[in-house]
Amino acid sequence: MAVQVLDPDPEYVLNHCTKYLARDNTDPRHNFGQFGSDDTRASIAESWRFPLIATYSDGTSSKSNYAVNQVTFVYQNRGVVSPISVGVIGTFATLYEPIPLRPIQFLGENTGYFALTVIVPKAEVHFYKYLVNNQYIIDPINPQRVTLDNNKTWSRFFTQFCTQPLSFEDWEYAILQRLVAHILPFRTREGQNFIDRYYNILDKQDKAALFPSAYRLDESVGATNYIDCILAREENHHLIDYKICISEINQVLRQRNPFIDPQDISVEMYAQLYNEMAANTVPGWDYSKYGRPRYFWELLRRHTFTGAFSHPKYGGNIGAAGWAYLAERYFDTATKTTLFNWQRAIESPLGINKDYHG
Amino acid sequence: MQTRFDVIIIGSGAGGAPIAYTLVKAGKSVLILEKGPLFKPQYQNTNGLSDFKRDELISDGTEKRVQVPGVANYGEGFYSSHVEPDINDEPHVYRGADGQDRATIEGYTAQVVGGGTQLYGGVSLRFTPTDFQLQSFNAGRTDLKNDPDGDVQREARDWPISYDELEPYYTQAEELIGFNGTVDNQLKRFSKDNYQPPLEPNPISRYAKAGMEQLGRELNPIDPILPYRTPLAVITRDHPPSGRKVPTDPETLKTSYVNRYGCPLGAKSNTWVALLSPISDQPNFEIRANCIVTHLECDGARINRVMYRDPSGRQLSVEGNLVVVACSAIESIRLLKLSARFNSEFDQRINQNDLLGRYFLTHCFGGASALMPTRNDKSMALDADWATDCCATEDFLKNNGLWAGGAIYNNTSDQALPLSIGRNHGSQDLDTLWKGFIDDTRLAGQGLADFLDENIGRGLSVSFMANQVPQRNNRIELHPTISDKWNRPVAYIIKTWHRHDQYLMDTLAGMCGKILKYGGENNTGEFQFLFEGQGGIFNAENALARIANHILGGARFGTDPRDSVLDIHCRAWNFDNLYVTDGSFMPTSGGANPTLTIQANSFRVADELLKRL
Repeated sequence: MAVQVLDPDPEYVLNHCTKYLARDNTDPRHNFGQFGSDDTRASIAESWRFPLIATYSDGTSSKSNYAVNQVTFVYQNRGVVSPISVGVIGTFATLYEPIPLRPIQFLGENTGYFALTVIVPKAEVHFYKYLVNNQYIIDPINPQRVTLDNNKTWSRFFTQFCTQPLSFEDWEYAILQRLVAHILPFRTREGQNFIDRYYNILDKQDKAALFPSAYRLDESVGATNYIDCILAREENHHLIDYKICISEINQVLRQRNPFIDPQDISVEMYAQLYNEMAANTVPGWDYSKYGRPRYFWELLRRHTFTGAFSHPKYGGNIGAAGWAYLAERYFDTATKTTLFNWQRAIESPLGINKDYHG
Repeated sequence: MQTRFDVIIIGSGAGGAPIAYTLVKAGKSVLILEKGPLFKPQYQNTNGLSDFKRDELISDGTEKRVQVPGVANYGEGFYSSHVEPDINDEPHVYRGADGQDRATIEGYTAQVVGGGTQLYGGVSLRFTPTDFQLQSFNAGRTDLKNDPDGDVQREARDWPISYDELEPYYTQAEELIGFNGTVDNQLKRFSKDNYQPPLEPNPISRYAKAGMEQLGRELNPIDPILPYRTPLAVITRDHPPSGRKVPTDPETLKTSYVNRYGCPLGAKSNTWVALLSPISDQPNFEIRANCIVTHLECDGARINRVMYRDPSGRQLSVEGNLVVVACSAIESIRLLKLSARFNSEFDQRINQNDLLGRYFLTHCFGGASALMPTRNDKSMALDADWATDCCATEDFLKNNGLWAGGAIYNNTSDQALPLSIGRNHGSQDLDTLWKGFIDDTRLAGQGLADFLDENIGRGLSVSFMANQVPQRNNRIELHPTISDKWNRPVAYIIKTWHRHDQYLMDTLAGMCGKILKYGGENNTGEFQFLFEGQGGIFNAENALARIANHILGGARFGTDPRDSVLDIHCRAWNFDNLYVTDGSFMPTSGGANPTLTIQANSFRVADELLKRL
């Protein structure tokens, strides 16, 4: 697979590395539970930012480049001796041909940072390794690591608008969808009416014009997908909360209704469970495994709301359905104009702003 | 690599950039060392994309947790902007009311070229002439409320410069940096009107305007003080001094991605696009981004070396004939105190009295909020539309037993975008984002729909920004045990609110409440007017941390070396070539947002520096 490789812009690399990587203090101040006690990534701020994923334009048209991201790999030499060669192989390119990372300089001196920028389509998941002095290593910075079927561990990244499953089994995802749908306003009658219509509108639109529309719009407008994405990246420290609590919810619901799969249980039973979690008193919950179901309930509500109404590049608010719901709900019938005109500020093709490129 | 310059400036925000602009234009060699990255607007990047985005998760991102050893809020979640420091790496620590230390994001502006001017809402008011003379104004008064020990009269200081002396530099700043607003009805003398025309106010602001008009008539029946369009650091027309252009339809600049967002189009007049970018192609100017200054070294009265870390952490040094420290008051004081630890002579000279770090100031601030009778599209707004000086007149102060006044303006871009409505619901500051939302059990399903119905397009708040009484024990120190990512002691913020501050905040919050009630109750609409509340920030749960990102004082200037840290030109008294020009020079905090005054003062200092080079 041919991949477009760009010269890494040293200013861009330093602008996005210094704050996070440059330091003397090695206290594990960035371990919120996602790392082991001796993991060097615990001393790196926001290590999830690596590799750096950003919007891309070739300078002629951001709209025509809207379907791709630029991905910048960064390797930081922490040793005294600079490596002779640093390269990367990954599923985003040919797996047998390493692509070299270039040393990044500041005022003519090497900084110890090596970088490479490639163009990768949005909504993709890839695996990669670094090749340092001809030795394959997983990325020492990026927290995303996946052990594949052949028992080999690779580093992983995913691009914006990702909708591929990352953190959950199907049954976990299905329960999560039910919980998320309970929180959002789209299960109200007006909300459901909107979802049904908006889904049809999306289907009829030119798919190239509203990237990416090739997925099913669900009742959560993608908030479940957003949660899946941030648990794989920004808030990986909360994945354990979801894993334990979804398992507990599965157990509780099976105890209460042994003949129906938890994801198919009635809305009323989910409402009851929701209220019990809010009260931190859930009959059947194993408190020795997770002491505060209320905490998970708080977490879930913050994540759900954020996923429904943040920029769609984070994986939720699919097709800007969350924003469109607000735009339709808040409407001045006298002037026939919306009172939440989100499109006006947002880049094309998602929005209609002619000056802002995203 | 060039290592010698006429002038080295530490920090590229409001305190540093005007000096760089003036001196580079005069042919002097200038180096700016900036801790943060150089993020550019679209038109400056070859790919046509901005490093700043209209993205609600970039202004207050996903959750991180406080992991600073030894603080009482260890383990609590926090949310910060992509250009704010990570609390775990570079915490500010304050002493809470219970005597325990907590890490906070308060007191940082932004770590990026342009500093706080990249993220601020852009409210750019001049201080009033009275703000410069609060010692004289309060001398002999017996009517001051809630000041039984006479603290105001003992601690207030006149600035060593008057409004009239600073006025030409206000004018210069307004011309070169680029603001929109109106002069009429402002209670300050303008020698020249350099404002660009304001954009159309958001429709919801009509309630604030009506309320301000009624309050103005109530306070001054014979000669009412009427509102004016809030001066904002946003260009609305092409701006020749900086070469910036606005969109074909400037009204599209109203997006509500304003306060806490960098402007992707460069229309917000941050110091990078307004002052530094226009000189960035000059051979006598260099800016080194991602470089943190660790300490200054001196030889006698001269700063002879500025020590800094490059983007990889390597220690380097540069030399300058003059050195200007302007990295926002808390960090500037910290830098000076850290330098004193490295060098006993530096210590003796900077601590020629015991005032460094003392009389740290922010603002008395607060306001009122309400849900208005009609829904309006608040997603089309800049930060503020209307302002009034009716609570800054000498009559108002004397009628209310106040030592100083403040500006009042309505916030327009707040409560506009959905995530901000959620994360600010019930929270009072950056340290408590999302707390109200996650505690509000009704917010699910129909309850969440109702919450959105109540809030989207209906929320309106009116704020005041007023002088805080200087207190000797309000101070910045180095924390005895907590260090940053370079293993240097972090800043320790110790401050309280004076009883008169509390009275002042109650009084002005009451005025803000009147504005909303006058504007909302007298108008009918689809909904019932709902007054949500009023108050000063001293009522907040973590009131001792609150700084409003207005970081002032701690190195005040004056005419008496026994009573000030800096001389009238902002030079450290016992140094020949060390200047401090961020908000730390202020002896009193002024009755308005401080950035424009910091910028004007830096233009003033720059003229003085030119005489020396």
